[in-house]
Amino acid sequence: MTRYCMVIDQRRCIGCHSCTVACRTWNELPNDIIYNAVMSEGVEGSWPNVHRNWLPTLCMHCEKPACVPCCPTGASQQDDDGVVWIEYNKCMACLACVNACPYGMRDKSNLRPRLHRFVQKCTFCRDHRAMEPDKEPYCVATCHQKARIFGDLDDPESEVSKLVGSVETVRLLEDLGTGPQIYYIPNLGGTR
Amino acid sequence: MTKNPAKMNPSKAAFGEIRHHYWEWIIATYLFLGGLGGGIFGITAIVNFFVYPDFAAVIQPIMAWPCFLAIMCLGLGCVFLVLDLGQPLVFYRTFIKSTSVICWGARVLSVCLIFGFVWFLSFIPWDWFAPVANFLAPARDVCLALAGVAGLCVVLYTGIFLSSLKAHAFWATPALPVLFTISALSTACAAIALSIGWWPVDQAFMDESYVMDLVYAGDPMAQTAYLTYAAVTEVKHLLHTVDVILVVCEIVVLLVMVLSFLGAGNKTANQAAHRWVHGSYALVFWVGMIAIGLVIPELMYVFAAESILSTVVAPIMVLIGGCILRFLVVYSDDRAPLPGEKLYYGRLVGDDAEFLHKWKYGENLF
Repeated sequence: MTRYCMVIDQRRCIGCHSCTVACRTWNELPNDIIYNAVMSEGVEGSWPNVHRNWLPTLCMHCEKPACVPCCPTGASQQDDDGVVWIEYNKCMACLACVNACPYGMRDKSNLRPRLHRFVQKCTFCRDHRAMEPDKEPYCVATCHQKARIFGDLDDPESEVSKLVGSVETVRLLEDLGTGPQIYYIPNLGGTR
Repeated sequence: MTKNPAKMNPSKAAFGEIRHHYWEWIIATYLFLGGLGGGIFGITAIVNFFVYPDFAAVIQPIMAWPCFLAIMCLGLGCVFLVLDLGQPLVFYRTFIKSTSVICWGARVLSVCLIFGFVWFLSFIPWDWFAPVANFLAPARDVCLALAGVAGLCVVLYTGIFLSSLKAHAFWATPALPVLFTISALSTACAAIALSIGWWPVDQAFMDESYVMDLVYAGDPMAQTAYLTYAAVTEVKHLLHTVDVILVVCEIVVLLVMVLSFLGAGNKTANQAAHRWVHGSYALVFWVGMIAIGLVIPELMYVFAAESILSTVVAPIMVLIGGCILRFLVVYSDDRAPLPGEKLYYGRLVGDDAEFLHKWKYGENLF
């Protein structure tokens, strides 16, 4: 079985927002939608022991996604390889999934025409990978720091499964039981 | 090139502080109307089949007008619900997938609306409509039973709908469906007590002296008139008693829910509870919800029984309280923020149309 996941190395991320730009360009996103925000709580510590921690985000492609069972139309669905995606021509933008997602990674664009709105989210570049197999999502391909690492968690030879098996990783809001498949290697940084 | 500082303020933009505020007054109103309409049908069925099982011929006509109001509420709720969609024209997609609470809600709502409407049609007294009404009359009991069960399901669903979304800490509690159910039944009692015995029942039957005159004169209408008058009085009295109990239960469940979040909820729910108890919602909560919506009507029911205060004013206040409750709950949709999320989205321009228009050189870049 294939189980796609992403490991994000926060030690390497420098907060250049390249992944955000690449994603917006490939997916032709409207201005009020961002799939993969790079967040930061700002500079921490006191000089000279300061550091800044970047948190690149995207859809967590959860094992038990909160957004899939709540969808009344069946537009929101999960593939066998773990990718959660939305079939746009089934969606009617009732926003049940948007309210169900604990990570706020789904949204509908208010800039689209009033009667043609639908919910959008990161799909690990599902359409791009379908056209060109063995390609990575654009945010991964564009990351010059190699902070985003994409791969098959069930393949013992893949970089992600080796990383998840060997390095201590954390997942966001794990206590909600959604089983997010984005693993963060935390940046411990300087003095807090 | 003068910039309007209010428009440029990111906190005014769609992203606002944090992206969580998707359902607004339309959904809050719908939850209120859905609970009210479903509750009216549920209580009508209970009163008809279990409380006065031998008097269906009297009880059902006097309940026709409250149920007409319920049909209006549910219909208006459906319109709101459809208008809130991003694609209103394909609303029928909501019936597709059975794992979704919304899907089941739409199904029971449709069943309640359809059978309730058929049931109501059989009471329309217009002469030209008589063939249809008479044709539907034998199905009254079945229709009311189905509409009543579906109505109670609608009542349950409005609470389960919100509490199944566990991303929002203030909604994801078993107390919420209980609170919504009690509130919906209590508002339904109030609405029925306000509107029972109107059209299509002969309004002369509501006048005690006229009814007694008929009885003493041995008029052929005397039995119907007396039974109708007695049934309206009895059911009103019953519903006021039930509402007294429901309002007390609602106060208890509401305070248990809010105060337990205040004392022991997680950080997100705790913030919302603080907003209710002594934050920006405090005035609406304590004065609007607790005092006007619950405590004062309760005192009126108990200490001013049989006066206009308990028959008209108190039910209206209960209805206002139920509406305020839905608004407070729907607007308490706090989600646990990711680290830095508030900062990130607070700096985006959001949907500031003027700014975006300039930024895109006036072109639509989709």
